[in-house]
Amino acid sequence: MASIGAWFKERIPLQGEVLRELTNEPVPNHLKRWWFCLGGTPAYLFVVQIVTGILLAFYYQPSPSTAYESVRYITDEVNYGWFFRSLHKWAATLMIASVILHQMRVYFTGGYRRPREVNWMIGMCLLLCTLVVGFTGYSLVYEQLSYWGATVGANISENIPLVGGFLKRMMLGGETYNEKTLPRFFILHAAILPVTMILLLGIHILLIRLHGVTELQFANEPADAPKHFRFLPDHFYTELTIGLVLMILLSALATILPADLGPRADPLTTPEVIKPEWFFYVTFRWLKLFSGTAAVVSMGFIVFVMFCWPLIDGWIRRFTRFQEASVWIGIAAVLTIIGLTVWEAAVEH
Amino acid sequence: MSDSKPEDSKSEDPDRRSFLSKVSTLTMAGGLIAGYGAFAGMALRLLYPSHGRKVSWVFVGEAEKIRLNDAIRLQTPTGQAVTITRLKQDGTADDFLALSTTCPHLGCQVHWEPQHNRFFCPCHNGAFDPTGKATEGPPAAARQELAHFPLRIDNGLIFIQVPTEALG
Repeated sequence: MASIGAWFKERIPLQGEVLRELTNEPVPNHLKRWWFCLGGTPAYLFVVQIVTGILLAFYYQPSPSTAYESVRYITDEVNYGWFFRSLHKWAATLMIASVILHQMRVYFTGGYRRPREVNWMIGMCLLLCTLVVGFTGYSLVYEQLSYWGATVGANISENIPLVGGFLKRMMLGGETYNEKTLPRFFILHAAILPVTMILLLGIHILLIRLHGVTELQFANEPADAPKHFRFLPDHFYTELTIGLVLMILLSALATILPADLGPRADPLTTPEVIKPEWFFYVTFRWLKLFSGTAAVVSMGFIVFVMFCWPLIDGWIRRFTRFQEASVWIGIAAVLTIIGLTVWEAAVEH
Repeated sequence: MSDSKPEDSKSEDPDRRSFLSKVSTLTMAGGLIAGYGAFAGMALRLLYPSHGRKVSWVFVGEAEKIRLNDAIRLQTPTGQAVTITRLKQDGTADDFLALSTTCPHLGCQVHWEPQHNRFFCPCHNGAFDPTGKATEGPPAAARQELAHFPLRIDNGLIFIQVPTEALG
């Protein structure tokens, strides 16, 4: 037995000090509060998405003539197909919610400030990738709402100045939704975006390790309390507990509210009431308020400002007296997002 | 040259070596960029839709069978929905109006609302008058209208000019 151990030790030199160095990073005390662990939550849900997505891909067929039937087959006939499809749907919903909450936490605690500006930008890329993965995944079902959602989404890109037409044709594989569209969405959803996200996540976590986590001091903490605790096992156990709670929550949601299947896509009839997934309600309402190009250019500008926010905030703090402007801007942005979402949810048109 | 002293060649070496090293590095980087750039360009061309657009005259039906203010709906070979309405009875192609039912805003299908005498798009609340001109919503803000298709009448038969081969 000892000789087998020695054989492995020689070939995988990751023991003792090296392993302790890699795993025992001191973790700031505030991370004992679970709501500061929202960064780990989407990462855990991403793993759930990869596993359930691979299982679903064994049966899914990405073409207009077969997609809807294959989803119906997964839902109605494959053993536990309904359960894994529902897990995939709910994990996507929770992942998007937790990414948004994580970003809000980072924003309102100033975690994006120097020297962590680049990591905020990588986080923004991850947020956009998550939204596009959600959009393409929703489109794969080929039911009425997903078909028209995909059509609207592709046509939105056409309003981008200069490159819009090119982007739309690349996305759809033609001028309009056609038989080449679904394979493109599937490859984006199941290969290109997940691989991009894994790479971005790797850099995101690497930068967190290099910079360390932003340290927060709470008013009710005694001054002589220890400032850090160990990643292994303390923080690892916290993440495991969150993982367990998420698994219970996902299973409960998948069982109580399983993913349903609407009417098959009809390219000649747009449903009288059409809504995207909840996380696009803001965009959908925005598109109703302004003409195509104005809506798309303004949305692009907002995303650009969000992307560059650490630099803009740095400039505001250096050259003006509004040191906490980011808090008020953040509150206004959150209220606007909630307001537009509730507005879109409350009305038919 | 062969008579030159070893000391001389040694003193020239660093400059020459540095120069050759820079040239070879640049050549190699240029080759790599050109090679992989060409590869990326070809990959992009592969993904970009390759067929051209083609429009043709397509038979619709007999003109006299469509009565005043009646409309018929048809689908073009590329899948576009078109509504043809008879507005006059002069016996010419101008009697008819062929409108695409695809909303120019973001591509949803409009439907006719007789109670409001308008086409309505349920996606973003766009509305169009019977001639296809936008009257409400984002399409009106952008001064858009439903696409028109040319019509022709030959011996009492209606023909419409539509795309028969889409970019794909």
